[in-house]
Amino acid sequence: MIDAREKVTGKLEYGTDVVLPGMLHGKVLRSPLPHARILNIDVSKALRLLGVRTVVTGADAPAMPYTVAGQVLYDEHLLAREKVRYIGDEVAAVAATDPDVAEEAVSLIEVEYEPLPAVFDPEEAMQEGAPLVHEAHGSNIANYMNFSRGDVEAAFARADAIYEGRYVTNLQHHGYIEPHSAVAEWDSSGRLTLYIPMQAPTLARMTYASALGISPERIRVVQCHIGGAFGGKLEYKLHPLCALVALKAGRPVKMVNTRREEFTASLPRMPMVMYIKVAGLADGTIIGKSLRVVADNGAYNNYGPGIMLSALLRHDNLYRIPNLHAEGILLYTNKVATGPFRGFGNPQGIFAFESALDMLAEKLGVDPVGLRLKNASQKDDLTSHGWKLSSCGLSECIRSAAGAVNWTGKRGAHGTGRKRRGVGIACCLHVSGNRSFLPFFDGSSAYIRINQEGKAKIFTSETDLGQGSRTTFAQIAAEEIGLNVEDIAVALVDTDISPHGMGTWGDRATTLGGNAIRAAAIDARRQLNEIAAADLEANPKDIVAENGRLYVAGAPDRSITIAEAAKIFSYKQAGAILTGQGSYVPDDIVSVIDPKTKYGNISVAYPYAVQAVEVEVDTQTGEIEILNLAAAHDLGRVINPSAARGQVEGAVAQGIGYGLTEEMKVENGKVRNASFKRYDVLRAPDMPKMTIEFVESNDPNGPFGAKGLAEPALNPTATAIANAVHDAIGVRLHELPLTPERVLVALRKKTEV
Amino acid sequence: MRYEITVKVNGEDYEAYIPARRTLLDFLRDDLGLRGTKKGCDEGDCGSCVVLLDGTPVNSCMVLAVEVNGREVTTIEGLAKGDELHLVQRAFVEQGAIQCGYCTPGMVLAGKALLDVNPHPTTTEIKEAISGHLCRCTGYGAIVEAIQAAAESMDGGQRASGKTGRSD
Repeated sequence: MIDAREKVTGKLEYGTDVVLPGMLHGKVLRSPLPHARILNIDVSKALRLLGVRTVVTGADAPAMPYTVAGQVLYDEHLLAREKVRYIGDEVAAVAATDPDVAEEAVSLIEVEYEPLPAVFDPEEAMQEGAPLVHEAHGSNIANYMNFSRGDVEAAFARADAIYEGRYVTNLQHHGYIEPHSAVAEWDSSGRLTLYIPMQAPTLARMTYASALGISPERIRVVQCHIGGAFGGKLEYKLHPLCALVALKAGRPVKMVNTRREEFTASLPRMPMVMYIKVAGLADGTIIGKSLRVVADNGAYNNYGPGIMLSALLRHDNLYRIPNLHAEGILLYTNKVATGPFRGFGNPQGIFAFESALDMLAEKLGVDPVGLRLKNASQKDDLTSHGWKLSSCGLSECIRSAAGAVNWTGKRGAHGTGRKRRGVGIACCLHVSGNRSFLPFFDGSSAYIRINQEGKAKIFTSETDLGQGSRTTFAQIAAEEIGLNVEDIAVALVDTDISPHGMGTWGDRATTLGGNAIRAAAIDARRQLNEIAAADLEANPKDIVAENGRLYVAGAPDRSITIAEAAKIFSYKQAGAILTGQGSYVPDDIVSVIDPKTKYGNISVAYPYAVQAVEVEVDTQTGEIEILNLAAAHDLGRVINPSAARGQVEGAVAQGIGYGLTEEMKVENGKVRNASFKRYDVLRAPDMPKMTIEFVESNDPNGPFGAKGLAEPALNPTATAIANAVHDAIGVRLHELPLTPERVLVALRKKTEV
Repeated sequence: MRYEITVKVNGEDYEAYIPARRTLLDFLRDDLGLRGTKKGCDEGDCGSCVVLLDGTPVNSCMVLAVEVNGREVTTIEGLAKGDELHLVQRAFVEQGAIQCGYCTPGMVLAGKALLDVNPHPTTTEIKEAISGHLCRCTGYGAIVEAIQAAAESMDGGQRASGKTGRSD
C-alpha cells in the first residue's frame, strides 16, 4: 500500500485532523422529537455565552430545498424550517472558539415544539390517515416501482412447487471509525473551500452548491484522507451546514460528529420488509419469481430509489429466470434517513431471495447447491433485465465455496444433541462500474504528470476510502509506463485540479477509474517512447520500458531513463510537464436504463461472490457460532492480492455483523444503542475461521480483466448464515439479525407445530 | 479550573496550564498537535485513541490530562526511531494489516505493549490484546498476523544479538 508508512506512523492527515488558522468549532442542535412543529427558536442565551461567534437557524439557510446528485425529490434543507422529522434532525448550529463552548451554546438554545403524531413503521406509513412526514409531498410514498419480465402468473400456475415468505432486514450502521467531519473556509471573493473526507467530491460540489443556493463555480472541494466510508461518506448535510456556519461567522469553521451523532443522524442501511414468491419445476428449474419490497426511507429520500431498485432486481441476474415481477414502495417514516451502504440494497434483496431459494429446493427435494448450479447464469448471457454478462465465474464460485465447507459431507448431518451443525450457501452478483445516474455523464477520466525527476503523479476523481485504490491505480500506471510503484503518487481529489468524475461507489474505482488511468498511462508512455526514439535513433514502436528506463528492444544498453526523457520533453517546451491524458467511456452507454421498466445493461462488468458457512447452533441458548466460512469471489483478476484479501475479510466481518449482531434499535424514533458499547461490531476474538478463493474470469471490460470486489464480499454473508442455521435446526429465520432470541422463538414455534 | 502539569511525551518534556476537563486525547491532539492519536468515539469503546502511559496502553479519551502530571506518554509519533520503523510498525506494513489506517496507531501501540510484556503471545492472546480496538476495514486477520510476525522477528533479532528470551 503506497501510503502504509504514513498510516503506520500516524502522519496521514484525515478530515478530523485538518486545522486552519483562526478556525472556529461548530456544533449542531438536533431535534429531540421524532415529529414536531417548530413554534419558536430563542438563541439569545447561546449568543451571550463567552466565546460564541455565531448561531444559525433555519431562517439563515436557503429556502429552496435540495437533494443529492441525480435525484428528483427535493426534500431537504440545511436546517429545519417549519418542522422536524426525526430525532436528530438539524435545527440550529453554533460556532465558537472551542468545541466545549460550542456544545454548551447548543444546550442554551431554546426551541419551542408542538409535537405531532409520528409514524415509524413503513407498512403503517402506507396506510390511509398515517401522519405525513412531508405534507407538501401529499403522501408518505417517496417512490414506487412496478415492472415485469415474461409472465410470472403463468409460471406460478404451471409450477411443481411454490414458496412464499416474508423477510425483514435491519438498520445497520457503517461503523467507520473516523466520524464525519468538515472544515469550511470562504475567501474574500466569496468562494468556498471545503476540506472533507468524501467519496465523491464532484457530486459534493454539485449538491452543496444547490444546498447553499450558489453556483458550483464558487465551491472548491478538497478531499481529505478517508478513515473508512463503506458508502456512508457520500453527500452529508454536515458539510454544507459547516459552510453556512462559516459564512455567517466570517471565519473558517470545523465540525466533527460525535459517535452518538453518527448513530443518530448519519445515513445507515435501509431496512426493508420483503414479500417473496418463487416457483420451480420438479427438475430444479426456477421458472418464476415475484418480490414486493416495502422500503423504509426514513425522514429523507437521499439515494433511496436506487437502493430499493437494487434490492428488487440485482439478484435476479444470478440465474436464468424468465418470468419476474417486482414491486417496490419506498416510504417516508419519522426515523433517521437511510442511504448507501456497501451492497446498496443488494444484501437486503439477497436475504429474501437466497433464503427463498433454499426453501424452494426443500419443497422440490433438490440440493440447494445443485439448484443454484442448474440455474446459474453463464458468460455472455443477456439476463432477463438486459444485463450483459461479459464474464461470469458464478458456477465455479459455487463449486469452490461448497467444496471448501465439505458441503456433500456435512449437509443434513446436523446431529441430535443440544448443539446442531449445519451448512448453508448464498450467492451474489454485483455491479462494477455502475452506470451513472446522471444521464449526461458516465465513465471516468484521469491524467498523469511525469516530472523531470521521473516521478509520476496521477490525478483522478475516484477516491480511496481506505480500500487501497490509490495503490491499485499506481500499480496500473506503473505497469503501462514502466515505472516502479514507489515512483508514482496519487493526488487527493481537488475539484479545482482533478478531472471531473463521479467518485467511488458502485464498485466503480477499479473498473472505471482503473481503465481511465490505464489510458492516461498509455498516453504518457506514447510520448515517452517518441522522445526516447528520437534520442536513441530508433522507432518509437521498438522502445521498451522497465524500472524507470526506456531502451531499444534487444539492445538494453541503448537507453535513457524516464526522468531524462521527461526532462527533454519539458526543456523543449519551456517547462511544460509531460502529461498523459485518458478517458474511459463504457461501451453501450447510449441506452440509459429505461426509467419505467428498469430494463437495460446497468454496469460495465459484474463481479460474483458465493459464500458457504458451517454453523453450530446451541438449541438451549439460541447462540449461533460460525465454525467455518468459505468465500469464493470472481473479481475478474487479482491486481493486489493483499488488498483483495483485506477487502473480503473486512466485508465478511461486516456481513457477519449484519447477520448476527448489528442492529440500530429504534424505539419511538429514538436509537437506543447509539454507541459502540451497545451496538455490536465484531471484534478480533469474534472472527471465525475463513478461507478465501479467488476466481479469475478475466473480464474484457476491466483493466487487466479486473472487476470490483469491495461490495460483493458483504452481500451473501448474512444469508449464507441463515441458510446454514436452517440446515442445522430445521427452522427458517425471517428477520435479521439472527439473534439468540429469534432463534429460540423460532425453535419454540416449530415445537408447537 | 486550570492546573499546571509537566509531562514527558515521546521523550520530550512539556509544561502546560490546562483546564481540568481536558482529556489526555484532546491535550495530545489540540494542545501538542500530535494528531496521530485518533478520536473515534470519545467514550472508550473503539481504541483508536490508545497511547502508552508509562508503557501501559490506555484509552486517552478516558484519561484526564491532569492525571498524567509527572508521567510518561508514548504516542504513535514516538514509536519509530527517525526513519527506522518499530518492528510492529514494519510488520503492519509488510503484512498488509492496514486499510483506511484510522485504527492503525492504536492497534500498533497495543501490539507493542503486548510484546513488551509477552514476547511470545499466542493468537488468542493477540486477539485479546486488541479486543478493545475496533477495525471496520480488515476483519482483523492481517492485524493479528502482523503482531505475530513482529513477535517472530523480535525473537529472531534477540537470538541473533545473543540476548535471552522471555524469562529474563
